[in-house]
Amino acid sequence: GLILLFYLVFYGFLAALFTFTMWVMLQTLSSDIPKYRDRISSPGLMISPKPDTALEFYFNRSDTQSYAEYVSTLRKFLESYDDSKQSQNINCTPGRIFDQNDVAIKKACRFNLSELGQCSGKEDKTFGYSKGTPCVLVKMNRIIGLKPEGEPRIHCVSKEEGMVEINYFPPEGLIDLMYFPYYGKSLHAHYLQPLVAVQLAIHSNSTKEEIAIECKILGSPNLKNEDERDKFLGRIAFKVQMTE
Amino acid sequence: EDHKLTASELEGKYGTNINRGLSSARAAEILARDGLNLLTPPKATPEIVKFLKQMVGGFSILLWIGAVFSWISSGIQIAQGADSPFDNLYLGVVLALVVILTGIFAYYQEAKSTNIMASFSKMVPQQALVIRDGEKKELPAEHLVVGDIVEIKGGDRIPADICLIAAQGCKVDNSSLTGESEPQPRSCDFTHDNPLETRNIAFYSTTCVEGTATGIVINTGDRTVIGRIASLASGVGNEKTPIAIEIEHFVYLVAGVAVSIGVLFFIISVSMRYQILDSIIFLIGIIVANVPEGLLATVTVSLSLTAKRMAKKNCLVKNLEAVETLGSTSIICSDKTGTLTQNRMTVAHLWFDNQIYSADTSEDQTTQPFDQSSPTWTALSKIVALCNRAEFKPGQENIPIMKRVVVGDASETALLKFSEVLLGDVMSIRGQNKKVAEIPFNSTNKFQLSIHETDDPNDKRFLLVMKGAPERILERCSTIMINGKEEPLDSEKAEAFQTAYMELGGMGERVLGFCHLYLPENEFPDTYSFDTDSMNFPSSNLCFVGLLSMIDPPRSTVPDAVSKCRSAGIKVIMVTGDHPITAKAIARSVGIISATSETVEDIAKRLNIPVERVNRREATAAVVNGMELKDMSLQELDEILCNHSEIVFARTSPQQKLIIVEGCQRQGAVVAVTGDGVNDSPALKKADIGIAMGIAGSDAAKSAADMVLLDDNFASIVTGVEEGRLIFDNLKKTIAYTLTKNIAELCPFLIYIIASIPLPIGTITILFIDLGTDIIPSVALAYEKAESDIMNRRPRNKQKDRLVNHQLAIYSYLQIGIMQSVGAFVTYFTVYAEQGFLPLSLLGVRVDWENNDINDFEDSYGQQWTKYQRTYLQWTGYTAFFVSITIQQVADLIIRKTRRNSIFQQGLFRNKVIWVGIFSQIGIALILTYGLGHVTALNFTPLRFQYWFVAVPFAVLIWVYDEVRKLLIRRYPGSKRVFL
Repeated sequence: GLILLFYLVFYGFLAALFTFTMWVMLQTLSSDIPKYRDRISSPGLMISPKPDTALEFYFNRSDTQSYAEYVSTLRKFLESYDDSKQSQNINCTPGRIFDQNDVAIKKACRFNLSELGQCSGKEDKTFGYSKGTPCVLVKMNRIIGLKPEGEPRIHCVSKEEGMVEINYFPPEGLIDLMYFPYYGKSLHAHYLQPLVAVQLAIHSNSTKEEIAIECKILGSPNLKNEDERDKFLGRIAFKVQMTE
Repeated sequence: EDHKLTASELEGKYGTNINRGLSSARAAEILARDGLNLLTPPKATPEIVKFLKQMVGGFSILLWIGAVFSWISSGIQIAQGADSPFDNLYLGVVLALVVILTGIFAYYQEAKSTNIMASFSKMVPQQALVIRDGEKKELPAEHLVVGDIVEIKGGDRIPADICLIAAQGCKVDNSSLTGESEPQPRSCDFTHDNPLETRNIAFYSTTCVEGTATGIVINTGDRTVIGRIASLASGVGNEKTPIAIEIEHFVYLVAGVAVSIGVLFFIISVSMRYQILDSIIFLIGIIVANVPEGLLATVTVSLSLTAKRMAKKNCLVKNLEAVETLGSTSIICSDKTGTLTQNRMTVAHLWFDNQIYSADTSEDQTTQPFDQSSPTWTALSKIVALCNRAEFKPGQENIPIMKRVVVGDASETALLKFSEVLLGDVMSIRGQNKKVAEIPFNSTNKFQLSIHETDDPNDKRFLLVMKGAPERILERCSTIMINGKEEPLDSEKAEAFQTAYMELGGMGERVLGFCHLYLPENEFPDTYSFDTDSMNFPSSNLCFVGLLSMIDPPRSTVPDAVSKCRSAGIKVIMVTGDHPITAKAIARSVGIISATSETVEDIAKRLNIPVERVNRREATAAVVNGMELKDMSLQELDEILCNHSEIVFARTSPQQKLIIVEGCQRQGAVVAVTGDGVNDSPALKKADIGIAMGIAGSDAAKSAADMVLLDDNFASIVTGVEEGRLIFDNLKKTIAYTLTKNIAELCPFLIYIIASIPLPIGTITILFIDLGTDIIPSVALAYEKAESDIMNRRPRNKQKDRLVNHQLAIYSYLQIGIMQSVGAFVTYFTVYAEQGFLPLSLLGVRVDWENNDINDFEDSYGQQWTKYQRTYLQWTGYTAFFVSITIQQVADLIIRKTRRNSIFQQGLFRNKVIWVGIFSQIGIALILTYGLGHVTALNFTPLRFQYWFVAVPFAVLIWVYDEVRKLLIRRYPGSKRVFL
């Protein structure tokens, strides 16, 4: 009995101590930006939609069911980019870093869905999947305070030549600098990360083939894309296989 | 039976010829049939078996299971085509390597300590003088065969069991067989039915002290009496050492905890819908975290360090585990001669002028303190110097007198050294007093007589000196010298003599009487020719001068050692072949029988009642004669061992030693036994720790023993006991230290499984703690000094005082271990929070966190992380967790230095090795984090410097907490509430 009480008190004390030290530690943190960002100095690339099984797209252009998942994911993803949601966002000066360090309330820059052209889902509700020109959105991971240098753009190549034609929206896959830097979830609540839509026009003779695509971020000296160990740092590889 | 045959019957039986011996051809035939004349060495465990034992012993099995599971799961992963199937393969390889390397290490340590012993067993090949083909030949003793005729002479070792057919003044020392050190005469007469008692057989491995003999070899090799005893010894099973039992108990305890937690969490994780494969991987992690991989190696190192320390103190330990056995010893059965005593006769008392004087009997006497002014002493000293045939071997002028080698028997040697100390150069005194006639000592007349010229040129008289058994000497005397004057020997003076004689004899001393006579010049002119056969000189009506008594005195360090044993709760039992009176006298003088205690006989004498009427319970001491022991039932022996705290067994045969040892073991005691003879080897084997004498011991005794006492000194056993106790205490500390961090290694896995947080510490990292940072500190604890006088407490109770008891385990696991875990988790959460993952956001993220395809994992600030970035952060978490455990292990190390005393009492700087430990610990951690932080396979990353200090408050807390516990334990000793 006494021993049980002892352990109750002892562990109670330890729990309290733990909570207290954690609380003290949390007090030293800012709620706006993390203390250190040295583990993410360079952003990774990611695509949407993201297939469940690895990064491999399998669909039949004539079977709506086979790509319904992709389409709904894209639709959902682009909801926040809808004009109605961007009423508070401002139009920023393209081509320039949008520095708001001195401003208390950070504004988010507008990203017009129309920039995504045929992949905006406006004209083609299936994002090209039904036409054999599936769209994949490539986005760069958000990193607080990251200011890309140069003219960053997404560039994709297919390992197998002559199977697919790649189109970018916005043209040339450019990522505008005005969306940077990011100020973090709490300060920059309405922030939308810039997107690049990659439209893969798969040649008709290449259906049923597995096409490996690798996208990289180019044109910016401070965005790494050749890291040996991190296969997603400034690049992403995925596969597409379309049947008819 | 061969001893009953006559020489010619033997000739017939063995097909040999006394004069011509065997023919070489016949000898070769018999050799081929019987084999070499050698004792088969005890079967040693093959090296490979020893090695494999190390590979599967202890925790190795658990680790092997872990390794096999790793391989299985990696196989499954490969089959499933997972992204990183080789991680588990590597883990399996690492685990296997850990087992193999620690196994090799333990094996090497073990082998090293065995090798010290190997040097002992090397013997010079022995030669024997054999008659073959009618010629005398020198042959190696191994080539002797039954029927060979061998000749032996003084100094030889008997090369086989031989039946004597001719002997001249032959005496053998059978001590290696029977333990009796008195040389025994050998002749060709059949004197006794028992081959061991009859005079016409000389036994293999005994030595011929003097004389010559010729005999027929009747037994060779293992068929000799010694060979049969040696094989008897190898039949006595080797008991498990107490420390082996303790370690086994500890391994079971820890393995039990590991397996049950592992299985429990396996079930939990399966029921939490984890995949079986993941659950298996968790199981491996839990096992690795729970098993103190480095501990057994540490224990081995600690034991061998102690063994080394003991070797410096003249205790050579053959079996590492015996180091601790000595510490838990509760009864020591010790030999007398050579172990408790100096093994040389020394003059202890003198009686002249009606007074007893004591002489100094210490090992390095240079003068004697007693009053030497009396003219009687001058006369006595002259007799002592002259009536003596012993001589120093030449060329020893620079050696201290007591250490010089003397040719002569034990008593004469004692007398020679005694007079050399007192008179100076005895040889020149003998030269000045030329010997003209001599009758040497023999057992019928029991005296020795010699006639000398005197060194006084004006005195032309001859001096007749005589020494011998006091009563015989007195018979021949009519006067006695008192203060230099001859006085008639009346009954009153004879009475005084008797009293003195009785008193000296009662002290167990060998007493000699001395007398002299100046032969009248007119009857014995200097041209007189003395004839010892016709005795043409007076040998009665002499003048009695004094008595000298001799004893083999106790070593000067022994009384102290015995009293140390007494305060350490160790019973010392003397087992000797000597006479009870001598044994009792020595026992009293060294304190085995303390000054106040009495035997039954003493009480009877004091109360003047017959022995039978004495209440046996009143007697604390007992002197048991070997003859009594022979007729005793086991119960009676048990009763004696139980009821008397001070026991001397006298006139015991080495065989009875085994009975005594078994009796002690029936009392539940851990018994240490000393022995030197071949016949002691069964007892040495049977004992929990057999101690062979390094100098006097036979090879058989040394090979049966667990320990060899290099200086044959009892006091060395006691220092060994002290070391053994210390290492037991220190091993407790080491284990407590090691077990503590296992919880801090285990908790991460449990919380990882239950709360699904990113894994706080990796399996490889755990191995780096267990086999890296923690090794040197835990060995350093072996150097810790004793907290209090460990020789003031009773020997540990085998059943109660475990190496690892529940209190120790609970205190380490549930208190200090948990505190460590909390400290480490604070660091872990701090690292993650400062990188953007607030503590609450980590809960339940495991599946997504570990998903290779999620490369935009969002943290609490809206940033997105690739898988590799997360993994790298996870490694940083490992490193932080690792560093925190290391830092808190420093505190753990400091608290484990003592179990009761405050660190302020024990002092932080007395054990310098602890500091080596602390610095190595931190140094290794620094190297791992900053030096090897870029080697991906090791899962370490360079860590921000401040994270080293997050756990420091917890380290301080651990220290303060333990100081409070120690304060409580000192304030309220014996309270069960206080842990450990």
